[in-house]
Amino acid sequence: MTARVESRTASESIRIALSGGIDLASAATVEDAIRSAMSQQPSAVSVDLTDPTYMDSAGIRILFSLASRLKVRRIMLKSIMPPDSPTRRLIELSGFESLAALRPG
Amino acid sequence: MLQIVSRPGEKNTLGEQNDAPGADESVTDAALAHLDGKDLLVELLDRVRQLLKADTATVLLLDPSSQQLAVTADRGIHTGVRQGIRIPVGKGFAGRVAAEKRPVIIERIDYTNVLYPIIQEHDICSLLGVPLLSTGMVIEALHVGTLVPRRFTEEDVRLLQIVADRVGFAIQSRRAEVERAAAAVLQRSQLAAGLPVVPGLELAARYVSVENRGVSGDWYDVFALPSGWLRSALRAYALLGGDPAEVLDRLDQHVQHFDPETMATVCLAMFEPSLERLQVSPASHPPPTLALPNEPAALLDVPIDHPVGVPGGPRRRATTITIPPGGLLCFYTDGLVKRRGSSLDGGLARLCELVVAGPVDSVCAEVMAQFLGDDPADDDVAMLVVRHQNSGEIGPLDLVVPTLPWSLRDIRLAMRRWLSAVGAAPRSNADLLIAVGEACANAVEANAVEHAYGPPGGTVPVHLELRLPDVLATVGDTGRWCPPRGGPRTGNAVHA
Repeated sequence: MTARVESRTASESIRIALSGGIDLASAATVEDAIRSAMSQQPSAVSVDLTDPTYMDSAGIRILFSLASRLKVRRIMLKSIMPPDSPTRRLIELSGFESLAALRPG
Repeated sequence: MLQIVSRPGEKNTLGEQNDAPGADESVTDAALAHLDGKDLLVELLDRVRQLLKADTATVLLLDPSSQQLAVTADRGIHTGVRQGIRIPVGKGFAGRVAAEKRPVIIERIDYTNVLYPIIQEHDICSLLGVPLLSTGMVIEALHVGTLVPRRFTEEDVRLLQIVADRVGFAIQSRRAEVERAAAAVLQRSQLAAGLPVVPGLELAARYVSVENRGVSGDWYDVFALPSGWLRSALRAYALLGGDPAEVLDRLDQHVQHFDPETMATVCLAMFEPSLERLQVSPASHPPPTLALPNEPAALLDVPIDHPVGVPGGPRRRATTITIPPGGLLCFYTDGLVKRRGSSLDGGLARLCELVVAGPVDSVCAEVMAQFLGDDPADDDVAMLVVRHQNSGEIGPLDLVVPTLPWSLRDIRLAMRRWLSAVGAAPRSNADLLIAVGEACANAVEANAVEHAYGPPGGTVPVHLELRLPDVLATVGDTGRWCPPRGGPRTGNAVHA
């Protein structure tokens, strides 16, 4: 299982869609992809967590790191996470909501 | 390193008043030079046994940390080493030699004061023992014994003392060898580890040791802080007071400043002194499970904040939870409930089924058995279970505190906690706190008077026991600083 990052840029906002398993093995790839997406200096960023099937602490770290860096630039990260998303509970228990706005869709 | 300097009241000049020609040479000659360590000890003991016509010869080395003499070598009747015999300083024959720091001769043994069982078992009759001092401290005792009554002479004492010196050197050289080897290993490991790469720093190092010595006290080390320091930092910040959210905020700043690459999840809970309530602040950590008597367990419904080490997070929140007597909390790391291929919700639900308000050890055992079974864990798992005891289960309170002024506060705190736990009426608590506080203050004061110019020391035991409808409190000052020698101030136990 590999992680996949798709970023779509619409005007100045980007949407990062993650899928697959986000773990220690795939963390570096995911981080690189996010970094290159961020190099476009977007003014709004959302991360789509509908599809990832698994996430470990390395994945959680990537999310917090992204939210924290955006916060410094006064951008609130939006996170899309429908109720049936496999990693919903994990994200909830990680306290991610303290740094990102969780939206069901 | 040890440095043998002198032994008491004895000259070490060879060849004087020598009524046994060659005796001194026999234990100092060059033939011994090639022997090392244990062989040398054995050889020396055999020679001294021969010279003094003794049946046994025993070397005991002092272990300074335990103040015990350990039998290191014995000849004649040699089972003491195998049995690992140890004699406390001041006890038995060798202990007396070490305590008095002078040669001791016993012509006829009084078996009431012998600790070395071999002396007793083999009917040893006469003993001569000498200490070996290094910078005024005893490091070794050497004694010889005979099966027939024997009057040891001054010359015997002198000879045995010379052997003790040789034994001292033999032991020293053995220690030095071991230390040299250890130092070499240490240096190799340090140098092999190399220097860490720290962006923004350029590092270089050299190391040269004096060739002939091989050992040097000099060393260098450069290292990045390991993540284990988080634990001690958390403890230190918790000491400063405040609720768990404040403590975690301090830890967070600490991590961001000193170790910006670190991100850690923590769940910090702090009990109120009454133990009825606790405050919880999870930092990106799953909340504990609460089980109340006769109720299904549930995850604590508390807000979860960002991990420690993430800049830009909002102010942390602490939530107060009531935990009545009998209630149980189960803390765990995510490795316990998270499995690839199964849902986290499933794991949490299973945990809630397994956690009951029962004995903490069985809860731990049951949860670990069900979740991990015989499979090796694929992630670290830590779990902590805490249960608020019912007042009936609480045994007596036993405290032993140093007789120092600031102990009084600790005693009051512990008493309040205990009285509240056993359900004592608050009004009578105040009287008891004062009575016990006064008694302890007396003990502290007595200690201060006795030790105004000496070393501080001593402890005061406090015992509280429930004897319904009363509480029996006992305060004693039986510490070593106040030996039972009569007089008005000693042994002033107070019963309230």
